[in-house]
Amino acid sequence: MSNLSDRSTLPAEPLPPCQVACPAHTDVRGYIHAIARGDFEEAYRIAREPNPLPYICGKVCAHPCETECRRGDVDEPVAICALKRFATEQHDLSKGHAPGLTVAEPKEEKVAIVGSGPGGLTAAHDLARMGYKVTVFEAYPKVGGMMQYGIPLYRLPRETIDLETAPLKDLGVEFVTNQRVTDVDALLADGYKAVFLAVGSHVGRKLRIPNADLPDVWLNTEFLRRVALGEKIDLRGRHVLVLGGGNVAIDVARTALRLGAAEVSMTCLESCTTQPAHPWEIKEAVEEGVQMFHDRTFKEIVAENGKVKGVRCVKVNFRGFLPTGAPDMDEFPETEHVLPADLVIFAIGQGPDLSFLPQDGSIAQTPRRTIQVNPVTLATTKPGVFAGGDAVTGVGFIIDAIAAGHRAARSIDAYLRGLDPASVQPPEPQKLNDLQQKTISHIRHLKREEMPMLDVNQRKFTFDEVYLGYTEAQAIRAAHRCLTCGAGARVEETKCIACLTCVRVCPYEVPLLARGTANVPVDQCQACGICATECPAKAISMKLYSDEDMIKQIRDAVRKAKYNGEPAIVGFACRYCAYAGEDANVVKASLPANVQTIDVLCTGKVDALYLLKAFEFGADGVFVAGCLEGECHNDKGNVHAAKRVAYVKGLLDELALGNARLEMFHMSPDQCANMAEVVSTLITKVKELGPSPVRRS
Amino acid sequence: MIKAQQKPIAEIKALIAPYHRILILGCGTCVTISFAGGEKEVGLLASSLRIASAMEGQDKIFAEATVQRQCEWEFIDAVAEQIQQADAVLSLACGIGVQALAERYPDKVVLPGVNTTFLGMAVEHGVLVERCRACGDCILGLTGGVCPIARCAKNLLNGPCGGSQNGKCEVNPELDCAWQLIYDRLARLGQLDRLAALMPYKDWSKDYDGGPRKIVREDLRL
Repeated sequence: MSNLSDRSTLPAEPLPPCQVACPAHTDVRGYIHAIARGDFEEAYRIAREPNPLPYICGKVCAHPCETECRRGDVDEPVAICALKRFATEQHDLSKGHAPGLTVAEPKEEKVAIVGSGPGGLTAAHDLARMGYKVTVFEAYPKVGGMMQYGIPLYRLPRETIDLETAPLKDLGVEFVTNQRVTDVDALLADGYKAVFLAVGSHVGRKLRIPNADLPDVWLNTEFLRRVALGEKIDLRGRHVLVLGGGNVAIDVARTALRLGAAEVSMTCLESCTTQPAHPWEIKEAVEEGVQMFHDRTFKEIVAENGKVKGVRCVKVNFRGFLPTGAPDMDEFPETEHVLPADLVIFAIGQGPDLSFLPQDGSIAQTPRRTIQVNPVTLATTKPGVFAGGDAVTGVGFIIDAIAAGHRAARSIDAYLRGLDPASVQPPEPQKLNDLQQKTISHIRHLKREEMPMLDVNQRKFTFDEVYLGYTEAQAIRAAHRCLTCGAGARVEETKCIACLTCVRVCPYEVPLLARGTANVPVDQCQACGICATECPAKAISMKLYSDEDMIKQIRDAVRKAKYNGEPAIVGFACRYCAYAGEDANVVKASLPANVQTIDVLCTGKVDALYLLKAFEFGADGVFVAGCLEGECHNDKGNVHAAKRVAYVKGLLDELALGNARLEMFHMSPDQCANMAEVVSTLITKVKELGPSPVRRS
Repeated sequence: MIKAQQKPIAEIKALIAPYHRILILGCGTCVTISFAGGEKEVGLLASSLRIASAMEGQDKIFAEATVQRQCEWEFIDAVAEQIQQADAVLSLACGIGVQALAERYPDKVVLPGVNTTFLGMAVEHGVLVERCRACGDCILGLTGGVCPIARCAKNLLNGPCGGSQNGKCEVNPELDCAWQLIYDRLARLGQLDRLAALMPYKDWSKDYDGGPRKIVREDLRL
């Protein structure tokens, strides 16, 4: 109770860290919560809304959201990316790629987009929706940019790209492939009122070390592009050494393995803890047999008679890159050695090909040889020409380019309407604060759901997709781990009478009193709903559900349960436990038609009023199915539910309805799978009591 | 604060039996805190009474509202229209609120839905205990901060009686003996000598025995 006088205030509506971390500010919490409650179409709708490439991102997004996920402070981050993939896999594409998407009246202005990577596609999508005539120019035969010509097939099947780009054509976007733009001014002269340069970063880099120009010294981007273009590269028997430690280097190494290389190794400046590739990528590469040699700088490609024999390396303690781009490191004396190889592939970085920019310098470049833009508007130094994505920032993530595409579309629209493009960009969102240790200590640990993968021995010889996606039960378990940050209780100050109920019942010790009313700090609330349900003043509401919604669901459930003269039974089933990892739809399908369940995320959310309402609407029996005592997701939600059931049983007796019509089931996992059996005990009792004397239309 | 408890449903049903349109009017202060008559309880009671009405084949109409304090006319008047539309108002306020309604709306039937029980506090969530009898002449300064009027079954001024056993009251063995509590507290304060003095009889005219009480602050009157 020491926190009663805390008067700290919090900014209104800060967003969950996942949403802030996502460059496109995807409502991650929204779609995870929709999955958790079994509404997969809604999950897809939410995931699709800010992202025209959800299928692709569900497979290969670098998911900066997971790095920021506050579940990571408790145990491990929520598997957000895998859940996005699940949402896309559940979506019924016959409903359209973007159900409910609105398109404005056609406009006269033409816009040219140079490059069909994620940034170009997103800008095309947005501008087409705004009614502009959009043409996308692509240098290669297929659209997709680096997604098409960089990402290996085993991570991103090309059908996924096709599936994602087809709807853009339906929006009226014209794609001109095999057309490398070489003259931006000519586009403007050709009637395009604005141009978005999204040419990506397709030029690999080599170190200027001896023998780097030998035929068996390749470049990351070219290698991956050749493979993607369908060239049959035979690496059988070859010993490949990849220079570099980033994600692209991993792609190169794993691709080389799949092309038959006898041995594939990687070497980089960084240590095993600072290697820039994502840890899971490194792990998967090592599983497949890629050898890692850390802490090395490369001095020379060793060759004999023009044949590569290896790379002469020296061990270093690399500390990072200096502002000049030079490595900050010391070489260890007498550590020189040769890593053997007969094919060396540089994967130490890549940059954009900017040779197409006007020779007069009217589109300025940065000292880092990227396109110079206003970071807010993405306007280049030439009026009407905007640029974004890797060509501006250097190599980034797909989702960064998507965000740039949105930004560019807003700017171009503003520019074409004579507005200041800076005025149309949304402000950066505010982020929820970190979880306090006290809150963390009350949060139940839940193991992260492993992504099913192809067996390593099977996958390393083929380009078959490695990740297989979650089953429904896995996805729901994974979604249940979300802390629904920031979607918790809201206190209506004018109704709060500071009765302290919330302070006393919260299992996470979150609410406090501030300025005479209760305050449930939005950054700590775990959205269990117990305070809202117990508040005698009805001063607390929850962001993601309401009494009105629930009462409507109860009314519908009672109506559906009135079937064939059987007792109408309505149940409130905890989604966290009542299905015990079984497919909820399978369990529900096993119930007779006269038993209708309403899913809740924790029975702590089941208000005594909901139980009474079910009877008021004519239910013959009502049950609440929650976890075993001591196993509640929210510590004591099921205990509160059981007490409410006992209270309402008392009221039913007072009303002479019979308390046996209402039951609380604390379900063990066995019982969950056999809910029909458990509920049959209630049905028997209800039959003994006869139909409810409450008869309403 | 004033503590109250909802009446049994059977009693409420009997009270409302003659009426068709009933406004269940909650009070947002004391009875809300005592879980007897706030907005949540209004909802639960309304649903219960709708069930009862339907079970008996009636078609009573129950409206629901809650005001901040029924003991103030300004707050009651906020729902004047709903009060006018009802055949009877079932008030879940304490007796003060019920009477305020009756006084403000002299032509309206006003019924009590709760029993106003005592002045007290929550010693734990869901456990409310009596602490004050509003006797009008507070002696807590003499009794170590423990009230023998409210907490001794016999209202003894010079306790304990012979029925105090092992710190419990003979009237109800679950109750602490107030005089044992007083003794313990004075011992703690080093004031046991107070118990040597006989406490004189109390001026009960300041309690209800002098008739309904009234406080007038001339300085505040308008």
